[in-house]
Amino acid sequence: MFSRLLVSIAYFLQDSPYYRHTKQFFYNLLENPDSRLKANFDIVMIALVMFSVFLLIYEVDTPLTALDMQFEQTLILIFTLEYLLRGWLYNDCHKIILAHYEKTRYLNIPFSLITVLGKIFAQKWAYMSSPLALIDLLAILPSYRPLRMLRLFLIFRLFKLFRYFNSLKLFTEVLASKRFELYTLAIFLSFVVFIGSTAIYLFEKPTNSSQVAHLFDAVYFTIVTVSTVGYGDITPHTTGGRIVAMVLILSGLGVFSFLTSIMVSAFNDKMQDMRENQTYTELKRCRDYVIICGFGRVGEHLAARLKAERQHFVIIDINADNVSKAKRLGYLVIQADASKNAVLLQAGLNQGANSVVCTTGNDVVNVYITLSSRHLNPDIRIVSRANNPDTIKKLYQAGASDVIQPFAIAGLVAAEYIGQPVAFEAIFGILKQEKQYMIDTLTVTGPSFIEAKTLAELDFIGRKLVLLGIVSDNPAHNQHKNRYPVSHQHFYFNPPAHFVLHSGDVLVLLGRDVSIGHLRQQIARSRFNNSRKS
Amino acid sequence: MKHIAVFGFSLMSLELMQRLQQAEHSLVFISQDCAETALMTAQGFTCQTLDFRNDDQLQAIGIGEHIDTLFCFFPTDSDNVFLTISARALAKDLTIISIVDDPESAEKLLAAGANKIIDPYEICGRKLHEMLTRPDISNILDHTVFGQHDLNLVQVPIPPGSYLENTDLSGLDLNAQYNVILIGVVDTDQGEELHFALDDTSRRLTAGDILVVLGVTADIEAFKAGLSVAG
Repeated sequence: MFSRLLVSIAYFLQDSPYYRHTKQFFYNLLENPDSRLKANFDIVMIALVMFSVFLLIYEVDTPLTALDMQFEQTLILIFTLEYLLRGWLYNDCHKIILAHYEKTRYLNIPFSLITVLGKIFAQKWAYMSSPLALIDLLAILPSYRPLRMLRLFLIFRLFKLFRYFNSLKLFTEVLASKRFELYTLAIFLSFVVFIGSTAIYLFEKPTNSSQVAHLFDAVYFTIVTVSTVGYGDITPHTTGGRIVAMVLILSGLGVFSFLTSIMVSAFNDKMQDMRENQTYTELKRCRDYVIICGFGRVGEHLAARLKAERQHFVIIDINADNVSKAKRLGYLVIQADASKNAVLLQAGLNQGANSVVCTTGNDVVNVYITLSSRHLNPDIRIVSRANNPDTIKKLYQAGASDVIQPFAIAGLVAAEYIGQPVAFEAIFGILKQEKQYMIDTLTVTGPSFIEAKTLAELDFIGRKLVLLGIVSDNPAHNQHKNRYPVSHQHFYFNPPAHFVLHSGDVLVLLGRDVSIGHLRQQIARSRFNNSRKS
Repeated sequence: MKHIAVFGFSLMSLELMQRLQQAEHSLVFISQDCAETALMTAQGFTCQTLDFRNDDQLQAIGIGEHIDTLFCFFPTDSDNVFLTISARALAKDLTIISIVDDPESAEKLLAAGANKIIDPYEICGRKLHEMLTRPDISNILDHTVFGQHDLNLVQVPIPPGSYLENTDLSGLDLNAQYNVILIGVVDTDQGEELHFALDDTSRRLTAGDILVVLGVTADIEAFKAGLSVAG
């Protein structure tokens, strides 16, 4: 009977969107490292923990007021709730029940409540025995009246900060990575302490019992000496004791320098990972960024331009010099081989990135990266550099959306310069966006006031705009001359005054950014008004 | 008809010469390496083998005389600087265009007397950026102005006695009349700056002003012919 109720509750939870949303919300609040909610929650919790510890210190010689007590009670409530919520989030109990239920149905064996509860308990126990959960528990427990004596453990609240600071977590990770070395050292140290304290006790106890009364005094002396602290409250008086002290000091120096070197090397090893992790975390926050493979001269220019436009991008390069250069400039860099699938995926090829640019000076590498990226993401935009004209076709075959030839373009530019230096400077000034003028496109979207109008009615000159042409694949325009095919569409150069605009046409305009911006705004507004009317 | 000398072999010089061949200029490719000149000769270009470090040889090919444009396309900046200095000393009015490998060398080349510096990496970076941020415009320009179609950006000087002399910019209707789009005007009396056609429509045109227009080659030719008709 009870087990049937349990199963039906489990099914209910499985299907309930409300339950799912609630759990997702608390997951975002407490655990999800990418959510903003958690970041804010962490800050609040840090403040609360600090405050409660201050209260604890304050309480030592001042009695608490009723307000303070209330605050303490609220705090305990919050901490308890947090502890329970984390326990709830740790796993899905209804899934365990359902899995077991379905298994028993399939195998046609009786549903055993004990097994299920045992499994659930095992999972929850795994949560409760994790170090962070233990700290949480210890931070709450002493406040309950029967456990008043454990007040000292309130200091464990400070350890709760581990949860909220990533850098503290990292510190424990670093220590954990050197577990073996630290164990070895600890064993050696306890060996030294054991021998040292026994020897001191044996030498000093008979003649110097005022200072070394118990074995504990000997252990205390040994540790103070080994750690090179040396308070001097206990001093060996016998020759034997002094020799032991000397040996302890020397071995202490060795142990602690060894410890320092372990820590330093652990942090050094971790530093690289930390930086890369930071890059990845920053990338996760971005949307629509560009992956630049290769940070040579071309990549550098591209990055500078993207940065100027506040576009996000990440650089992948295997060359250490290039990487350090990019780092100096403050860019996000991954030092890795961009032709590896894992590297591209980590850089967010399937998540936030919207385009890949291969700018290495090696055509073979460019083809390979293009092929890998296309294989991993069929929709992404890939622009690749071809140094040799023969590579162009191969790059398109590999899946590049566009191919660029640096030297051919430079040659072309030089050739343009010969005939018309002034015109050349003008058009490149516009393209470089150095002048206030720009060439921009505007799409005719219906319903708006420019749809189905002739160009004469729109009066571009009056709007301080030069209409260079119209890009469209609308067959209605086929009658017009000056038609140039531009990848599946047509570019109508200098369209006549009776040219009628259709939805989907793209206007290519030259003008000041303010004029273009104004027209764009007018179109948006008229669209909004029209859609409200209809 | 311009006399152009191209120094140094690279993909860029090949591309340049192929482009200019169509425009019917007198081209000569110069290198000190026989293998390179042989390669260019095979492509059908006029070539000469000589040492650019020797002023007499430079003079012998016509620098300081009939050559009016010089391209320095050596892969190393120091070679380009040396050639620029030598050529500038021989010919004051020569137009010298040089590529630059290291951006730091740009100033040195300008100091040596080059008129125009081309940084192929910078151009490529810019082009990539344009492809990424404004693919449609990049595409249109590639296909038309820089591409296969005969749509061109051309500068047309106003000849003395033209009917356009002393007219206002606003009075022009080149779009309908000649099927060309006026981008701007350079008033050569006031320097090299380009005034956009939209900004000062009341600007009065004088002989010697340069109109920058976009249009089909045939239309532009017709426009040029129309200009010289006295008003």
